[in-house]
Formats: sequence, C-alpha cells, structure tokens
Amino acid sequence: MATHADTLHEHHYHPPGLQHQFEDMKQQEESVSIGMWVFLVQEIMFFGGLFTVYLVFRSRFPMAFAAGSNHLDAFWGGLNTLVLIVSSLTMALTVYYAQKGNRNMQVILIILTMFFGSVFLGVKAIEYTDKYNHGTIPVDGWNKRIPAAGGQQEHTSLTLPFETKVSAAADSEPHESEAVHPNPRGEFQIEDKDLKLVEQAQAGKYLTESEKIGYFSNRQGSLPNGQIDAAKFRDKVRIFFWIYFVMTGLHALHMVIGLGVMLWLLWKAWLRTFSAEYFAPVETAGLYWHFVDIVWIFLFPLLYLLGRHFLHGGGH
Amino acid sequence: MAHQADEHNTHSQTQEHEEHIGIPGYLGVFAILVVGTILTYFAATIDLDFIFPGANTLVALLIAFTKMTFVVLFFMHVRWQSRLIWLTVLAGFFWLAIMFAFTMQDYLTRGSGVFSG
Repeated sequence: MATHADTLHEHHYHPPGLQHQFEDMKQQEESVSIGMWVFLVQEIMFFGGLFTVYLVFRSRFPMAFAAGSNHLDAFWGGLNTLVLIVSSLTMALTVYYAQKGNRNMQVILIILTMFFGSVFLGVKAIEYTDKYNHGTIPVDGWNKRIPAAGGQQEHTSLTLPFETKVSAAADSEPHESEAVHPNPRGEFQIEDKDLKLVEQAQAGKYLTESEKIGYFSNRQGSLPNGQIDAAKFRDKVRIFFWIYFVMTGLHALHMVIGLGVMLWLLWKAWLRTFSAEYFAPVETAGLYWHFVDIVWIFLFPLLYLLGRHFLHGGGH
Repeated sequence: MAHQADEHNTHSQTQEHEEHIGIPGYLGVFAILVVGTILTYFAATIDLDFIFPGANTLVALLIAFTKMTFVVLFFMHVRWQSRLIWLTVLAGFFWLAIMFAFTMQDYLTRGSGVFSG
C-alpha cells in the first residue's frame, strides 16, 4: 500500500495531510466543509422543529409566553450571550492560529474557548436552580417544596457555591416582586402579577382567538362565565416553560458535546498536529461551535426578552 | 455575486491559504456582535406596540439575523467558500422557511377551538 502510493506520487510534492482520494488540499478542505455544513443543515432542521413548536404556541398564546418570559432573568441570558460571543471569537482565532501553525496560541485559545463554554453552563445551572426555587419547572412535584404555614422559616433552597446561607435566605424574602409563594407539593406556579398581562391585553382588545378560549372560564368551569381562569392561564405558561427547558437543555447538551470536541482538539493541538496545510479538524470544530452560538443568538431574544416591553413601556 | 465568486476562484488557485479577515477583522465582527446584543436588550425594554403589535419581536429577529449573518460569513468563513457551500447553507435556511410556512399555513387557517387562527 505504502510502496504503491510512493510510486504513484514520487514525481510531485504530496502534502502530509492529504488523503489519497483527493486531488489536492483545496479539494479535500472543500469536501470536509461540505460534509460539516450538511451536518449543520440537519442541525438547523433539528432545532428548527423546536422553533416551529415555539412559533405555533406563541402565535396562539402570546400573553402566556410574555408572562413566562418575564420569569426569566434577562441579565443572566444577556451575560450568557456575551460569554458565547467571546468564545466564538476565541474559536475563530484558534482557526486563525492553526492555519499559522502557532501551537502555543492554539492551546491558549482552545483553553479560553473551553473556559467560556464552561462559564455558559455554570450560568445555566444558576438559572435552572432559580427556576427550581421559584416553582417554574413545568412538572408538578419537581419544584422546591415550600410549606404553606409560616412562610418565613429556615432557608431550605439550594445554595449556590458563592452564596452564604444568609444571603440566599435574604434573597428568598418577599422583597420587590420576587415573593415566593407557598408550594407544599412542588407544583408549577405562576404569580398574580402574571394575570395582569391578560387584563391588560383584554383592555387593549388584542387577545388572540385561542387566548379568548384558553384563558377564561366557560360553562364547564366553577367560575362565572368569562372570568380569567388562573389555572387555565397557568397551563399555557407551562407550555412556555416546557419549550424553555427543552430548547435551552438541548442547547446546553450541544455545549457539553462541544466541550468534549474541544478537549480532543486541545490534545491534537498540543501534539502540533495542525499547520497551514492541515487544519480541517479545527475548522470543522469551529463551524460546530459557531453554530451553537447562532442558536443562542436566537434563543436569547425569543425566550428572555419577548415580554419585557410590557414591564417597562406603557407607564403602568 | 457570481462575478465575485469567479474572481475568488482564480485568486485562490494562485494563493493556497487566504488570510481571511485577520485579527482586526475578527475583532471588528466581535464588536458588531456585542453591540447587537446590547441593542437587542435595550430594544426589548421599549414598547414598540404603537407601530404594530409584535414590532418588538420583529426588531429582535432583525438584529438576531444580522448577528447570525456576520457569524456565518466571517467566523464560519462562508464569505470565502465555494458556491457549492453557499448553496448548502442557503438550502438549509430555505428548508427551514418551508417548515415554518407550511406549518403556519395550517395553524393560521383552522376553524374554531383553542387552535383556531
């Protein structure tokens, strides 16, 4: 095999990274890129299915989605957007230095990319903990159980690593509008202020047809006909949180896989594998990393920011 | 567009590896992405419903599409790739648009009930 290849190629220069089925490096690189892009197109459709679910349900129940969105902390979401953008920059620079064959810069930048990827996952963990403590995990019984009698007892929620018990307890005091309702069975919960969005929309007469049916009591219910039914509204907010957890969870899974790829890339870069002539694995891993960043670029406004103008605008 | 791509093909035959946009270019794209993120955040706090209901979402998506375009063209190097890769990328978004359009033409034209238009 080796001798056969040698006789075939003895007359011209053969780049070390060139596989025998390709004419030259240019063709090989393009084939690698095409393969990765076909995979990414599949990923677009994969996340696209979830974005379609989002589109369908949000077009049905925009006010429930706005209420759910306002339970998310746009600060953490925005911070994570910036963290991912920085990691995309370090990834792009990794490819740049791989093409230059600069091993030390590759290693430094891959470590930085992994660091920012980990920060992203850490922030996600903080957010998920907060959802657990505030009863917005959409499965009944999976939230923190808060006894009904005497709301001000010892702090029992998860304590974050940098938080002292005292500061965590102070956080759970009912200051601002962050009051934690009793939740003895760990059910999915919304707050009274969420229903104000429905009243507001009703006053402005821009409820959708689905909302007119989906938020209000009817003859079958115990409430008088046409009143806002908190339980029915809560179930529509629950749809938002299902979508939130599935989409951000799947995105976080992609980040975890990305970190695994980066670890392998770090090893290869350490061994001085990549040069101006062979850098396809770096380029391909970069495409994957940037794709995950792009998904978040859309998730951030669609999940975290969609109801904020109801809180800040309109003078109420 | 086509002319540009032709120019690129002849250019890349003479030069094995392009510099792409270099470090200042990457930092420039990074700056645009950061500005886009900050802009998204503050645009979301202003009530734009006086233009038409849902104007906030449109603005947010326009900024997100702009950010995505910069990432795809420069960080993912599609700007310098062959037309075959351009086609692959665009096909991805085309099929996505088909999925959205065909799903919504169903949901938006239903009769009565919770899933009515």
